[in-house]
Amino acid sequence: MKKVIIVDDSIAVARQLEKIINSCDDFYVVAQGRNGAEAIKLYRQENPDIVCMDMNMPVMDGLSALRSLCMAWPEVNVVMITSLGGVGDKYSEAIKLGARDVIGKPFDAESVIKTLQRIA
Amino acid sequence: MAVKFFGQFLIEQGAINHLSLLKAISLQEETNRKIGAVVYEMEMMSQVNIAKVHQSQRNADTRFGDKAVEMGFLTHEQLQQALVRQRNSHIYIGEALVKVGALSKEGLERYLLKFKEDQKPYAVEKVEIPKGISNQEIWEMVADLTKKMLVRVADISFRPGPCQIIDNLPSRTMVAEIGFSGSVSARYLLTSSQNSRNFIARAILQEDDIEHEPIAILDDSVMEFINIVCGNIAAKAAQSGFQINISPPKTHQQSEHGIAVPEKHTGLMFPIYLSDGEVFELAIFVKDDPL
Repeated sequence: MKKVIIVDDSIAVARQLEKIINSCDDFYVVAQGRNGAEAIKLYRQENPDIVCMDMNMPVMDGLSALRSLCMAWPEVNVVMITSLGGVGDKYSEAIKLGARDVIGKPFDAESVIKTLQRIA
Repeated sequence: MAVKFFGQFLIEQGAINHLSLLKAISLQEETNRKIGAVVYEMEMMSQVNIAKVHQSQRNADTRFGDKAVEMGFLTHEQLQQALVRQRNSHIYIGEALVKVGALSKEGLERYLLKFKEDQKPYAVEKVEIPKGISNQEIWEMVADLTKKMLVRVADISFRPGPCQIIDNLPSRTMVAEIGFSGSVSARYLLTSSQNSRNFIARAILQEDDIEHEPIAILDDSVMEFINIVCGNIAAKAAQSGFQINISPPKTHQQSEHGIAVPEKHTGLMFPIYLSDGEVFELAIFVKDDPL
């Protein structure tokens, strides 16, 4: 089973995502963070296979965290799950920085699982 | 189920891959020049004056062209000429994908039609905004998309009331807020009655029974709901050439006096009536343009 960390400032979203991911036999959620700085700390601690991360977060936003993660660990698999997925500049910046995919919010369980299975 | 940009739609459809999209975006970045570069090329402004406008923009949410006119470096006519030149040389992502060989012309036409169909539920419908408020099309978009997402995401049936100008937003169970910056400067606020908060929480948590959920989770659900709405507003605004940045959401707890519209702002309020008689509101505190 592949290890996943979720980084989202919304507890409600993180809970919903955890439920979706844990419902699939291929993945399990090992930790949750609430901002980009926590994403970096958790990645170092947990060495997950996949990071599911929001963009619009306090303290350190998702794109800054993505930049830091990709510089420190070029092999990192990050999926951005964000309400800003439909903003062309944000979407392309995430892909340029090294995100493996971008899922827009609101999301459905099927698209989340399909995306994780594709990149895992 | 969200506002998308065309490149994202094509990836979802399997028509292109991320690499082709990045190639097309690079071509767009090389071809589509900013208005400052266009006025320099047309010898309307010097590099020194362009730098002065950029410096001045750091303290105001004003577009380059409007700021340059305000500072006396361009006339309205010159700005119009430059905007026409900029528009004529602009290439859209679809054309760029054809130019880099990722999509055929026929494929582009076919997928544009599919994209239009996919995004039909998010076409902006007319919302009356009081005269004299700048950037009316953005506030129309904000009001209309909020109402659409209350129906589509939160599954709320309601009757919208007409837009009113207010000095004070009434006190409700809670208020969630997101800041807008970029092409516009404003505060987006959604008040919640107990029932509307419960509707939204059920939808965000995807659970029917929320009776035992702590208030913090219910409030968090409303914050996430406005985060989704405002992200989709930013995407829709980008399609019309506006850049809207959104701040992380925050909440205001119930206060006796509500929330006063700050000085140098105009308060727009859109009441939303639920069938059980409860009311909640969308409000936008729009920062007034400097005179």
